[in-house]
Order: sequence, then structure tokens, then C-alpha cells
Amino acid sequence: MAPVNATQRSGGFQAVGRRQGRLQVRIARYVAFAVVVSLAVSAVALIAGRQRSLERSLERSARTYAALASPQLADMAEVFRSSGGRLLRQRMARLLELNSDVVRLEVVDVQGRVHLRWEDGESHTFPDSETAPRVEDPVLLGALQELDISARRLSTDGGDRVYRVVAPAVEQWGRHAFSVIATFSYASADREILTSVLWSGMLLAVGLALSFLVAAILARPITRHVEELRGGARRIADGRLEERVQVSSGDEIQELAEAFNAMADTLQQTIGQLRAAYRELESLDQAKADLVANFSHELKTPLTALRGYLELLADSSLGPLSPEAARAVAVCEKNVARLTRRIEELVALSQLEKGPASDLIREAVAVEALLHGVVDTVLPRVEEKRIACSLDLAADLPAVVGSAEHLERAFLNLLDNAVKFTPDGGSIRVAAEAHEQGDRPGVLVAVSDTGVGVPVGEQLRVFDRFYQVDPSARRLYGGMGLGLSLVRSIVEAHRGTVWVESEEGQGATFFLWLPSRPPDSGTVPVVSAE
Amino acid sequence: MKRVFVVDDEPDVTDLLRTILEVEGYEVETATDGRDALARVMEEPPDLLVLDLMMPSLDGLELLRLLRADPGGAAVPVLVVSARSGHQHQLESLQRGASAYLCKPFSPRELRRQVRLLLGLEAEAGV
Repeated sequence: MAPVNATQRSGGFQAVGRRQGRLQVRIARYVAFAVVVSLAVSAVALIAGRQRSLERSLERSARTYAALASPQLADMAEVFRSSGGRLLRQRMARLLELNSDVVRLEVVDVQGRVHLRWEDGESHTFPDSETAPRVEDPVLLGALQELDISARRLSTDGGDRVYRVVAPAVEQWGRHAFSVIATFSYASADREILTSVLWSGMLLAVGLALSFLVAAILARPITRHVEELRGGARRIADGRLEERVQVSSGDEIQELAEAFNAMADTLQQTIGQLRAAYRELESLDQAKADLVANFSHELKTPLTALRGYLELLADSSLGPLSPEAARAVAVCEKNVARLTRRIEELVALSQLEKGPASDLIREAVAVEALLHGVVDTVLPRVEEKRIACSLDLAADLPAVVGSAEHLERAFLNLLDNAVKFTPDGGSIRVAAEAHEQGDRPGVLVAVSDTGVGVPVGEQLRVFDRFYQVDPSARRLYGGMGLGLSLVRSIVEAHRGTVWVESEEGQGATFFLWLPSRPPDSGTVPVVSAE
Repeated sequence: MKRVFVVDDEPDVTDLLRTILEVEGYEVETATDGRDALARVMEEPPDLLVLDLMMPSLDGLELLRLLRADPGGAAVPVLVVSARSGHQHQLESLQRGASAYLCKPFSPRELRRQVRLLLGLEAEAGV
């Protein structure tokens, strides 16, 4: 058991080992994320503010421009009626050079009719009042009639965001014939904002990388302590219980290490106590086995004399017996035999509860021969109780690896048990077949009886030592409750399993599974059972 | 008449063995002490030695070893009769030079048969 656990433990820690440095990366990632988020928030706020301020400044200069430009433009509209378009174009070009954001200038009368338009470096005049374009926007139309400078923002003008200003041109004698609509583009402001956004993005990327690196470097001392802690835990888990974790970080990790060390102290102490207790138990167990061996010798010596003389009496070697005396001698013989069996059971159990010595489990044992043998052994009692006994063995039974002597004892005990609990006239069936358990090939032996059965709650306990389903069963059926526990000891020493299925009052079936090949065996010479 | 020497530290058991064997018509000698038995057996080797294993002064296995080491005792058939059961002990006795092994408590019938076999009075058939 122990090596398996150790493997599992170290396997678990190897998985942890592959995660080395993850904590550091995680801390760095969180810090970098936090830095980038705060940078991004400030960048967005700054850029939004900058955009607003650029727009305000554009709008302010647009209104000033419009106010200053409108009288001149209105004059030009008047002049244009008399002079040629060349002078107009020159003056318009000069006006337009004053502000690079202005994309269009229009001279409009108070009815909304466009007289003059300057756009994309070209001037257009609309002398015919029928074909001239008109201002449709009601807000602009309303503004055209006012004397105050009016401004409004429009976002749709060929896709660009634009800002429109309506500026009235009032002549010296107070006539308000024309207004000027100046259209300004936000394109240059937008370009500037876009540049700011791109720069901010680059700065964010650099900030991300830098903060990740810095955080990783700063996190190193923390994660180093954690790694030390983990290394110590791994060493202790690998069984080096005297190992302690040395962490002096002065923070919670050190506290954790101290708590861990305290746990290791307790663990070491407890395991030490357990080992001592186990050694003591082992020596007690040995003492008990020795006691049983010596005691059985002490019991068998008088039994030898008893059995010998009883048999001499029974076969009349010592003179003829009266029928009554012969009967008395037969009873004595039967009880001596019973006593002998019990002692053998006890001895076998005391030897086997440690598991039969593993060097005994080495022969290839033919199960069918053993089963035939034990059925023959119980046959006199089976016939006496008029029990129908059937033996049902599959043809292709593999040999199991084990100790024929011990396996014979196990089968005999199962069968003894069945005979004991099956009432007169009942039936017993012994079956065996090849059967895989997990991936392991093996032989499954089933012994079914028609006896009292085993209650569900008791089905695990029947294999305990000195266990009887019903305390009164001892008087009724005899025995010490050792037979089945012996079966279990033997089967477990063979790395097999044994269990019972039963409904109370419906009889019971005892299953006994034995592996047909040990986990690491070459060829095993076949030894047929005696 | 075949001479059988019985060694067992329990007088009741030597008496029983004597009774059983004398009925069969053998000449029986007994000893309850290992050392005494070894000296007597070596002095005058019997046709068969019936030997107990667990004895206080000289253990049966040790007696067997000493006997087999002696040229006079090397050929004496030895039937071990012991309260120790189990293959392990049987195997050990046979390796030390025992000719046969019988577990206590034994059946007199079985003992008689084993004795006849070891003395060559009955063929091995049917075992």
C-alpha cells in the first residue's frame, strides 16, 4: 500500500511543479491590467477634453471669421453685379486663406436664396432666381432673418462633421439684404484627435509591457517564499518528515510556513507514535501467535492420547466392548475430532491473519481438483443431512497461483459453513468459472446453500473473527466464528476477494475470486493438488 | 522381531505408542528424554525410530541431525510424530532426514500403516 500512496503523492506534486512561476505571472498580469486600465481611463478623459477644446476653439474662430468676413462678402455680392468674376475670385481666395478650416462660403438673401457660393477653390454664381439653390434647413432659414450671429453644428456634409455659422451683413444705412453662411470642417481637429488616440494606444502597449515586467520583478520575492513553502511541503509529503520550511518573509506567508511546520511537527510526532504502537502490536501479535502455537501443542498432546486410546477401544484392540460402551466411545471420538478441528482452525488463523507467508503463494493450483477434494471431504455429513450437493465446474478453468494447502482450507471452510447452515433435505451448489475482475483474469468460485441466509446489514461482518449472525447460532450450529474470517485472510493473502450475497431466509451464496496470474510472474510449474 | 524405538516427552503418548505397536507384534523400547534416547539409539540402532519434535532437553530436529551425522544412525528410518501441523514443518523434518511425518493427534490405524511401510512390511501401492 505505502509505495502506491507515495507514487500518487509525488505524482500530484509533479503536476504542481509544472505550474512553477504561475503565481508570479498571475500577479504581474493583474498589476499590468490595473495599470493599463488606469492609463486608458486617463487617456480617454484627456483625449475627450482635448477634442472638446479643439472644437470650441474652431467654433470660436469660425464665429469671429464669419462676423469679420460677412460684410466684405456681402459687398462683393453687390460688386459682382457690376464688375467681372475675376476680382471676386481674387478677393474670395484671400478671404479663404485666412482660415484653413473653412470649406464653403455662401452669400444668401433673407429669403434663403443662394446668390454666391465658394467651394473647393471655385466660385459659383446663381443670377437666375429660378434655378438658384435655396436654404431648406428651417433653423438656418430662421437665422437668416436675424441680425445676431447664429451658429449651428451639422454633422452631415459629405460625411465630414461640419460647423455652420450664419452671419448677417448690415449695410451702413441699415439695410440687411444678405447673410453669409460659412461652413467649417472639423477634419483637422479630428485628425489631431486620431493622432492623439494612436499615440495613447502605443503608450498603453508600452505601459502594459513595462508594468508587467516591473510587477513580475516585484512579485518575485513573494513567489519565492511560496515556492520555498511548496518545496518543503513536497519533501514532507515524500516522507522526509524531519524537513522544515524556512521562510522569513515577515508576512502571512511566513505565518503559513510556521503553521505548516507546526503541522509537520504534529504529523511527525503522531507518525512516530503510530510506528511505536505498530511495533508494539507486531510484537504482541507475534507473542499471541507463539502463545497459540505453544498452547495448541499443549492441547494436542492430551488429545493424542485420547484419540489413540479411543480408536484402540473402538476397533477392539483392547478387548470387546458392549454396544453401549461402543456408542460412548464413538461420541468421544466425534468430539475429540471436533476439538482437533477447532484447534487446527485457531492455529491456522493465528498464522494466517498476518497473511500466509507470501513465499507459500507460488504453486499453480488446479481449482477443480481442490473443489472435488473438499466436496469428497464433506460428503459423509452431506449424506447424513440428505443434502443434494452439485458441483458445476466450467471446462476452461485457469490455474490460480497460490498455496494449495491454504486454498483447500478456504474452500473447505466455505463448504463446511454451507453444510452447517443448510437444513436437512436442502441443497448446496458449488460452481466455478473463469472470471475477470477489473482487468485481472481469475477464477470465481460460488458456494450456494439453502440455509438461513445472511441479513444485508451483516454481509460484511460475517467475515469478522468470532462473528456469528445470531449469538444463539453458536449453540445451534457450533463453531467459533473463525471459519469465514480464515477464508478472508487466505483469499486476501492471495490478492483475491470474497463476499456474500443473500436474502435472509433464502439461503446465501458465497463468492470467492482468485487471480489466475500474480501481477509479476513468469511461468509457474503446475502442481496438481493432492 | 522388528525393534521400534519410541521417543516422546509425554509418558502417556509413549505408552499409547507402545500399546499400539506391541499389538502389532513389534519389540518396543521407549524414552521420554531426547539425550537419553540419542545415546541408546546410537548404541544399538533400532529398525525404526518414532520421534516427537518438541521436547525439552533435546529437540527432535536436533536429535535427527545428530543421528543422521552418525554412521550407525544414518540408515535408521525415522517417523516423526508431532503436534506441529502445516507443510512448513513437514518439509523441514523431511529435509533434516525424516522418512515420514505424522501429525498429532494421529490415528492408530494410520500409524500402524506408516510403521509397516517404513519397515518394508507393506508395499507402497495405493498411497
